[in-house]
Amino acid sequence: MTIDNNVSDIIESQKTYKRFGIGQRLEHYILMLSSTVLLLTGLPQKYRDFSWSQILLSTPERLEFIRLIHHISAIALTLLAVYHFGKAIIKLFQKKLSGDMLITWQDVLDAFGMMKFLLFIKKEKPKFGKFNFEQKVTYWVVAIGFVLMILSGFIIWFPVGFTQWFPGGAVPAAKLMHSSEAIAAAFFILIWHIYHVHIERLNLSIFTGKLTEKEMKEYHKKEYDRVEHSVKPKSGAK
Amino acid sequence: MTSLLKKLTIPILLVVSLVFFLNIIPASAISPNQGTEEYCLSCHGEQDLTMTFKDGESTSITISKEMLDHSIHSSKGIECVACHQTIQKYPHPAQNFASKRELSIAYYEACKACHSGNYEKAKDSIHASIMDAGNLATAICTDCHGAHDISAAMEPKSKISATCGKCHDEILATYTKSVHGAALINEGNQDVPVCTDCHGVHNIVDPRTVDFRVQSPEMCAKCHSDPELMGKYGLSSDVYSIYKTSWHGVDVSVYKAKWPTIWHDSAVCTDCHGIHDIGKTSDPNSMVSPQNLLSTCQKCHPGAGPNWTGAWTGHNKISLERTPILFYVDAFYSSFSPFVLWVCVIYVLLQIIRQLFDRVRRNLP
Repeated sequence: MTIDNNVSDIIESQKTYKRFGIGQRLEHYILMLSSTVLLLTGLPQKYRDFSWSQILLSTPERLEFIRLIHHISAIALTLLAVYHFGKAIIKLFQKKLSGDMLITWQDVLDAFGMMKFLLFIKKEKPKFGKFNFEQKVTYWVVAIGFVLMILSGFIIWFPVGFTQWFPGGAVPAAKLMHSSEAIAAAFFILIWHIYHVHIERLNLSIFTGKLTEKEMKEYHKKEYDRVEHSVKPKSGAK
Repeated sequence: MTSLLKKLTIPILLVVSLVFFLNIIPASAISPNQGTEEYCLSCHGEQDLTMTFKDGESTSITISKEMLDHSIHSSKGIECVACHQTIQKYPHPAQNFASKRELSIAYYEACKACHSGNYEKAKDSIHASIMDAGNLATAICTDCHGAHDISAAMEPKSKISATCGKCHDEILATYTKSVHGAALINEGNQDVPVCTDCHGVHNIVDPRTVDFRVQSPEMCAKCHSDPELMGKYGLSSDVYSIYKTSWHGVDVSVYKAKWPTIWHDSAVCTDCHGIHDIGKTSDPNSMVSPQNLLSTCQKCHPGAGPNWTGAWTGHNKISLERTPILFYVDAFYSSFSPFVLWVCVIYVLLQIIRQLFDRVRRNLP
């Protein structure tokens, strides 16, 4: 992109569209911060056999300290999850849940459409609604992943309490899950999320809370049409 | 005649003196050289010779030929004086030992002359440090090896446990009932460890130290990770490698590598299996039998309930039969999860290619 284009971007981006509320933006901050701290304090514990971990955890006190930070961040993440899914459940019962994030048949069709575009079979990308299927995949992989991380994390944090009620076989399984899911989730975020929000294009809407008209037209055309012209997207349309 | 006698006088004298001379040679053979075993036995072979110490205790100083026949030294031609360095001839210099024990302690220094390596090792042992602290009863060379009847070490192996058991009698009794001890003592099994296999030989250290604790799993692994040896008894040789990846094992290896002087409670082999009383896992009396496993865990995990033992994978590889939940989680993360990630990688790569293609095409005139 040339400088001229950037200037025109700024001029064009006078009109913005609200995408995330202040609560949702705060949720993302907490999620980002807590999961980063959890990853950074978790990795040295997972790789305790390795010398880099043993340099970091040079004393038993440091190991205790890093565990304390891990546990505090875990509680923050757990509270966030309770708030997030609790709010969704309450909204669901109030029939106020927007459903923007739910995966629909349209998303499957969009994925196929996108694959055709990527394989040079089609010239145009599919037109997306408020959240495209890539973003929905991000949300659900992270949501399910973090639920698994929280559940397995509490099992290995309180194994004695857990086995008062549940089968012991879940404890080593939780240990394996916690350590494997963490790596899988970290790779997913690095590959999928970082690419889509930083490299494909810089999408800071989760921090600013809004998208420009240009971005809306280009990446969320259906949503743009819906808001701007009150045109309902045709069902099953590509 | 006279002239004949005169002529014969010199030869006769020569013959007589020769006979007389020849007689002396057998006489000197009867009385052997001083310092030889034979010479010493000419007195010490007599029955009921005793020596009395200042404290009133007396000891037999009769040495029988039969006893020396068992000695590895005697058979190699090593003489009494090699050890009895202060007594080279008869009459002996005065021996001023307060007690029999003091004599033994003074004499074992003689071992150093030939066996300096093992002597120095023994000086670093817990026995030597207890001796230095003033306990004269602790083991010296001759307490384990014997004195006049020293035989080759390790023959048979059960002699070792019997030797240690002379002082450590309670431990010997426990060991005799263990899977290792019973096999050695009842069946003459030479594969099982005896005292010295775990505790070392001359440089026996205090087994209650942090250092001994952190290196103890490797000690067990010497045999228990040997597939050939374990296969002989239908045992798994993976127990140590699986232990090393466990919560306990990782803790122990880190403490061993980084903090070998800091005590830690993460379980080593002996915490669960016992030490001298190690039993088969199938033995109802063993600490890890299904009946006793929970109470063994509870030593460190006091609140653990009956489900707790289900968390224990028993040094086994992941299997559907033994650990189904673990099996499915492992299957998920070793197949589905990498699959999803690869799909993501390929999708993103395709996006990058398409994006670059579009950018190049846009910039074309």
